[in-house]
Amino acid sequence: MIDWPHWLPLLAVLPLVGGVLTPLLFHRLPNAACFWAASIAALTLAVAVALLVRLLASGGFGYAVGGWLPQYGIELRFDEIGALAVAAGFIALLSLVFSRHYVARAVEPDRAPLYYALVLINLGGLNGFLVTGDLFNLFVFMEIFSVSAYALVAMARAPIAALAALKYLLLGALSSLLVLFSVGVVFAMTGTLNIEDAAVLLDASSAMPAGLALAGLATGFAVKAALFPVHFWLPDAHAAAPAPVSAILSALVVKAGVVGLLRTLELFAGGDDLLQPLLTLIVWLGALGALGGALMALVQRDIKRMLAYSTVANIGYIFIGLGLATASAVSGAMVHSVNHAVMKSALFLAAGAIIHRTGLRNIDDLRGLGRRMPITAFGMAVALIALSGVPPAAGFVGKWQIALGALEAGQPWLVAVLVVAGIVVLAFGVRVINALYFRPPARVPVASAIEVPASMWLPVLLLAVASLALGLAGTPMLAFVGPAVQSVYGTIP
Amino acid sequence: MPELVDIRPLLAVLASLLCAGAVFTVRRSARWRAFWSLAAAGIKFALVWSMLPGILAGRVYAYQFGELLPGVAFGFRVDALGLFFALVSSTLWVLTTIYALAYMRNSHSLHRFFGFFALCISTTVGIAFAENLLTLFVFYELLTVCTYPLIMHNENLEARRAGRKYLVYTLSGGGLILAGMLAVYFMTGTLSLAEAGILDASIPHAWLLAIFVLLIAGFGVKAALMPLHAWLPAAMVAPTPVSALLHAVAVVKAGVFGILRTIYNVFGVDLLRDLGYAHWLAMLAGTVILIASVKALRQTNFKARLAWSTISQLSYIVLAAALLAPLAALAAIMHIANQAFAKITMFFVAGAIERATGKTRVDQLAGIGRQMPWTMASFTLASLSFMGVPLMAGFVTKWYLSLGALQAGSGIFVGVMVLSGLLNASYWLPMVYQAWFRPPADTGANLVPVSPMMVVPILVCAGYVILLGIGANAPAMPFSVAEAAARFAFELKVPLE
Repeated sequence: MIDWPHWLPLLAVLPLVGGVLTPLLFHRLPNAACFWAASIAALTLAVAVALLVRLLASGGFGYAVGGWLPQYGIELRFDEIGALAVAAGFIALLSLVFSRHYVARAVEPDRAPLYYALVLINLGGLNGFLVTGDLFNLFVFMEIFSVSAYALVAMARAPIAALAALKYLLLGALSSLLVLFSVGVVFAMTGTLNIEDAAVLLDASSAMPAGLALAGLATGFAVKAALFPVHFWLPDAHAAAPAPVSAILSALVVKAGVVGLLRTLELFAGGDDLLQPLLTLIVWLGALGALGGALMALVQRDIKRMLAYSTVANIGYIFIGLGLATASAVSGAMVHSVNHAVMKSALFLAAGAIIHRTGLRNIDDLRGLGRRMPITAFGMAVALIALSGVPPAAGFVGKWQIALGALEAGQPWLVAVLVVAGIVVLAFGVRVINALYFRPPARVPVASAIEVPASMWLPVLLLAVASLALGLAGTPMLAFVGPAVQSVYGTIP
Repeated sequence: MPELVDIRPLLAVLASLLCAGAVFTVRRSARWRAFWSLAAAGIKFALVWSMLPGILAGRVYAYQFGELLPGVAFGFRVDALGLFFALVSSTLWVLTTIYALAYMRNSHSLHRFFGFFALCISTTVGIAFAENLLTLFVFYELLTVCTYPLIMHNENLEARRAGRKYLVYTLSGGGLILAGMLAVYFMTGTLSLAEAGILDASIPHAWLLAIFVLLIAGFGVKAALMPLHAWLPAAMVAPTPVSALLHAVAVVKAGVFGILRTIYNVFGVDLLRDLGYAHWLAMLAGTVILIASVKALRQTNFKARLAWSTISQLSYIVLAAALLAPLAALAAIMHIANQAFAKITMFFVAGAIERATGKTRVDQLAGIGRQMPWTMASFTLASLSFMGVPLMAGFVTKWYLSLGALQAGSGIFVGVMVLSGLLNASYWLPMVYQAWFRPPADTGANLVPVSPMMVVPILVCAGYVILLGIGANAPAMPFSVAEAAARFAFELKVPLE
């Protein structure tokens, strides 16, 4: 059963087909559409878990689409990086469950089925992106999850949503163009679109075209990942989107940019001369992003914008880890991608629950909410503390490993960056916690607020508990991504 | 040294964690809240004391489970130093809980208060029993998180300011410790606290210096080592039991304990003696002792005077540890208990006077000895102990510290001891004099009777101050544990004297 080969394509096909069918089947039935979408997401999660079990048992494996052998046909591969699909399925499922009550208010009622369709299509695009071994497919799936993301941002009722979506779309389209162009260059140089094959054939010594392709791919994926200084689309888009969408965008969609960069590094594994400057650059940009994002988060008043800037900071951490290119730093960055996904989705969903109940999103207005909405507030407090890297919660694993990598790479100043950024993150976390728990209510909606229904608090609570529990699973997770580190970077210290 | 696998260290941490969970869920019933709070303190007390005979017999209890990070286990290991700290804190916790139950009656959000209160003892014992630096750091940071709601308990502007200051200081300190710990791990590949020193002289000196500065400054924040002390006087806005907890037991002692671990288990006395850094730390601590005493002299608020006195007293421990002499080490470890019992007595007294009369200033105490004789008698004993009068706990510290200073060839610190004793006398004696020998300013008719649940802990603590002073060598007293810890640090087989 586990070894059935067709699980792998199903991972992408199931949500894509399910998504396309949603508006057709449930045109006027938003509740049924929600149930349907959540079921599809649950099935997708089950498929991802089955794949993960096989991966743990027997290592990475591939799948030849339509029976055409790799190099000639399209190849899907499931490796440790692709295992992010499990986190994607989990978070998408919880976001969909959360959406049932949320969307009824946040989105025009007749658009609700469309909303669920887009979330599923987004998940399908993400999963396809994670498991494809083909460069052109990488681009296609990227377009699928990007375009659905633009539409999802625009779906919020706030007037700023359309503008934010437009900004997101313009930047996204630019990055897609760069990626497409670079894929073309690689194809012209090697005559193949299979990533493994192209990595062997690519003549990295010819600086000009290969360097151009590398620059194009890296820039394109950096925009998708919101690496400083091409992050400026993110705060608007993530703050304006409906909260469950913000959760998916911040937790998963930006991570696709990280995965894209990892695939790029895999592709250029032979060309050290080209890679070294890039890695140095992303360490610096990551450091600037980590500090800048954390400081910008500190001065935000809108809770969702604050969380969005914190994503910029965490992407900064991850890129520092990838750029340091030591085994501990890279594995730490990979694990932090997952851990951050869990913590940030908990936070966005909790913020969504608060906005759903009170309509308030200014941090100072949330005073006294800890007594009115105890579970939501608890989830938010726990996730904020975890995010700041207080041990033994989930944020600590990545911080420790990346800082250790900085020492190994002979760059101790980065330890200071990580420590300072961590303290700043905690500072804005404390602002929120203070408001929730230690101040009397200042606004009418707070005084009359009650806890959200279970379909909303349960996802928040699950994710908050997971953000504590994942911190204890640091060692197995780091061991798990070990092979992926070796396959992307070769043998590194 | 035989190392036994034993689940008690884990149980000791877990027991009050679970009780804390129960306290959080009890919203209405004050009786059940009291029950679970006392259970948290009592079970822990029993478990910790039950390990005393084994430790005295030279055993070490350990319990490990899994790795927190690759190469760093998450585990507990009870050695003499750790047990000593745990004995002091778990004993005082029982008394503080009883006192707090009476003191906090009629306050708001009590489930939150006592829930976090119970969590604090859990994390403190976790610090004491940590097998390695990372485990210690985990509980150290959790302690910060758990004390924050206690400082913020009053929920007013002053409390928020104090809370913010506390967090900024302690979390920055945590960041320094993290960086230092990373450097230790990077250089040695281990964070174990089971050895008498894991660093060695083959490591580049720039790294050793960086590690020393990072770890001492990081732990120094909670130990209120000047100039990193400013959070401590500010945190006085918290309710009195919390101040007692912060100042006498959990928080500051966690910082001091971290410094002791850094000196004895991370560096080791031999390496530090060769490096010479400890000399500078001793000079700093000596200066802090005197400056903080002078500052205490100038305070008029009762609790503020106590706070500055704490800063001064904590530096006794740092100084004694930094002297790197066996007898001074004994003084350092003993003073964890001596300072804790005497200082907590004073805090309890301050709280009782505030509850009974509403007075919070040191110049309002005229004649209060006649109105509250038992309370003020305890206060007098504690202040005599701080002055270093023989038969009191403080004298034991001063005696061994001075001997240690001579052993280390730094006779100047004997002078510091004398001077500090005089300064202590000059700010405690006037209060004692006022309380006993001045006529009361009012008739005492509007005196609110103080609950016996507050008076009894005061008397017990004061009794302990005498016990520690005259019966330090008695079999059931923690003195022998402290001696075992000092012997381990200096790798001596024979008794110290």
